[in-house]
Amino acid sequence: MPEEKKTKETQIDIIDKVWGFFASLKLVIILLLVLSVLSIAGTIIEQNKPLHEYYRLFKPETVALFGKLGLLDMYHSWWFLACLALLTLNIIACTMERYPFIMKGMRNRSVVLDEKTEAGLTNAARIRYSLPAEVVESRVTALAAKSFSARPVVTQKEEAKHFFYEKGRYTRLAFFLTHLSVLVIFIGAIVGSLFGFKGYVNINEGETISSVQTRKGETKDLNFGVKCISFAVDFYPNGAPKDYRSDLSVIRDGKEVARKIIRVNDPLDYEGITFYQSSYGRLPDEVTFEIRGRDGVSLGTVTAPYGTQAAIPGQDVKIEVLDYQEHFHLRDGSEAGPAYGVNIYSQDAPPRGIWVSEPRPEINRFGAYSFVVKNARLKNYTGLQVNRDPGVWLVWTGCIMLVAGIMTALFMSHRKFWIRIGTDRKGRVEVTAGGTANKNKHAFASEVERLLEGFRGVA
Amino acid sequence: MTNSLLFGISTFVYFFAMMLYVSYLAFRSEGLGKAATLTLIGGVVVGTAAMLLRWYESYQMGIGRAPLTNLYESLVFFAWTIAIVYLLMERKFRIKTAGAFVAPFPFIIMAYASLNPNEIQPLIPALQSNWLISHVVTCFVGYAAFAVSFGVSFLYLFKVKAENNPGKKGEGFLGYLPAAEVLDEVGYKTIAIGFPLLTIGIITGAFWANVAWGTYWSWDPKETWSLIVWLIYAAYLHARITRGWRGKKAAILSIVGFGATIFCYLGVNLLLSGLHSYGG
Repeated sequence: MPEEKKTKETQIDIIDKVWGFFASLKLVIILLLVLSVLSIAGTIIEQNKPLHEYYRLFKPETVALFGKLGLLDMYHSWWFLACLALLTLNIIACTMERYPFIMKGMRNRSVVLDEKTEAGLTNAARIRYSLPAEVVESRVTALAAKSFSARPVVTQKEEAKHFFYEKGRYTRLAFFLTHLSVLVIFIGAIVGSLFGFKGYVNINEGETISSVQTRKGETKDLNFGVKCISFAVDFYPNGAPKDYRSDLSVIRDGKEVARKIIRVNDPLDYEGITFYQSSYGRLPDEVTFEIRGRDGVSLGTVTAPYGTQAAIPGQDVKIEVLDYQEHFHLRDGSEAGPAYGVNIYSQDAPPRGIWVSEPRPEINRFGAYSFVVKNARLKNYTGLQVNRDPGVWLVWTGCIMLVAGIMTALFMSHRKFWIRIGTDRKGRVEVTAGGTANKNKHAFASEVERLLEGFRGVA
Repeated sequence: MTNSLLFGISTFVYFFAMMLYVSYLAFRSEGLGKAATLTLIGGVVVGTAAMLLRWYESYQMGIGRAPLTNLYESLVFFAWTIAIVYLLMERKFRIKTAGAFVAPFPFIIMAYASLNPNEIQPLIPALQSNWLISHVVTCFVGYAAFAVSFGVSFLYLFKVKAENNPGKKGEGFLGYLPAAEVLDEVGYKTIAIGFPLLTIGIITGAFWANVAWGTYWSWDPKETWSLIVWLIYAAYLHARITRGWRGKKAAILSIVGFGATIFCYLGVNLLLSGLHSYGG
């Protein structure tokens, strides 16, 4: 029997200890500081870059090690998320631990200024008057009403009349507001990452898309189409961009159901999916090349629409225009102006990708052919970020709670003030008064002092 | 009259304010103290006029935007807010002798600002938003409050050393500094002002990022560092309010917090790359 009892006690002991650990303020401070130190690492090692960029900066074995430790995407690594989970548990434990005390602080308040309460007040005073009790009462309570707008609780007890005033009782709830707000923000972020998506799509002017590419590499079908009616970009005289705008139309069952000109800072929202102006670019709509053979003799011209294979006259070879660069750079770093990305398809060789420079035809020799750009028509495309985040309203709710909680916790307090009107041993009217606050005691003490000064003036 | 001329004048006025605060600490004449405060107020007035003029000039150039969008403009605004936060604290807590440790900030920051390009540039599309002013103002008033807390906490460490050394108590200029207890209180009060402002600054930034880029948090270096600063001051407030950390430990945490603040403000832009590359 005693053995059993002992194990039970140690069990409780362990539970108590674990609970104590999670609810401890030490853990909060350590977690906050650990999270900040970890976050620093993520700003020193750039996150989520293509692997080849890391190879430029570090040795291959270092990159492999970083990858294994999760340092290349550390804000989503198990150990960073574990810290956030620990913080969540910590907040929950602290909230549960504090709950009864806070509720007690709100509920249990003595409405009577007895000896014990009086002894606990840092600034209280006893003032005697040679005026009738009613006069003193009306004057003193009139003064108190200037500081406390709510009516006092009046109690008649043991030959004395007690007045209890209070302000800011609910400011004690600021603790919950502040700490639960962090959980609400976390829940919002989790909801967003579980049920939402982040993607992007490029839409050529005049074209319509009905799916987007997500960050995770999946294709997400929208159950409507988005058409880019036009895209425009304006520049300042100094060449800096001034405005990007896309005229977008949302099409459902062949009908336009929404339309908006979007800009940076002014996205389009349709059925919870938001389209943000993110980038833009140009693609060749149609390019005409003159093709020359090995001896420099012209073989004729080819007009290749974007993304369509076109045959070189008299040859068993086809070309396809797939890409465009406004400022193409050669390997030696010199610029070769606008250039077109072309794939060459021939029977006896695998497809080959080349860049054809517009201003420098002399460098456009590839195998048996050389290319001269005769004519090119470009079209604009708009680059859109496409998101759905069903958790975002939770995040903003949490943010509002957080700010309200912090402001209340730092600048407001629960202030209590008592007045007892009785008689002293000689039968004179005696007023005893004093107050206390749970926070910002200094400021309230001077307010109480001013009130007491007023009370003394009544005589 | 151009805004840069006015900013130049305000730099000089801040310089004289600094000299007067230092002289006040050395000679403790009433007159010098009054002159120091008035000169610093003068610097704020000239700085205000310069910012308003710059705002007006941008409209005349057809750009029309608040002067809060690049490193130069954020520096002059930072200097201006530090001066104001300090003046309010000086008035409330009567800590004029601490001025010698805070008044140099506006001058040094203005001098540093003058090394940066100061043309009025038009706004790139990402910055054309109504959130710009509320985001920048809340962040920088927060930073300024942390700067004052740093200056006062630093001073606290000197003062408390002198107070704990009874043989030398009250000797030298340390004897004339505000009491350690007052410095400690001001160090806390300024953080209590700065912390909610930083919180609002981070939230307005997140809200703006969500409108502009479609994501409220992307672990960009600037965002991450602002979170680090927030975490440090959150630790400070927890330690102080609940665990009763006061004095030396609190002062050291305040100094560390301001180090992180400065890195968040300048270090991130100078050393790391990210979305905030336009500076400020």
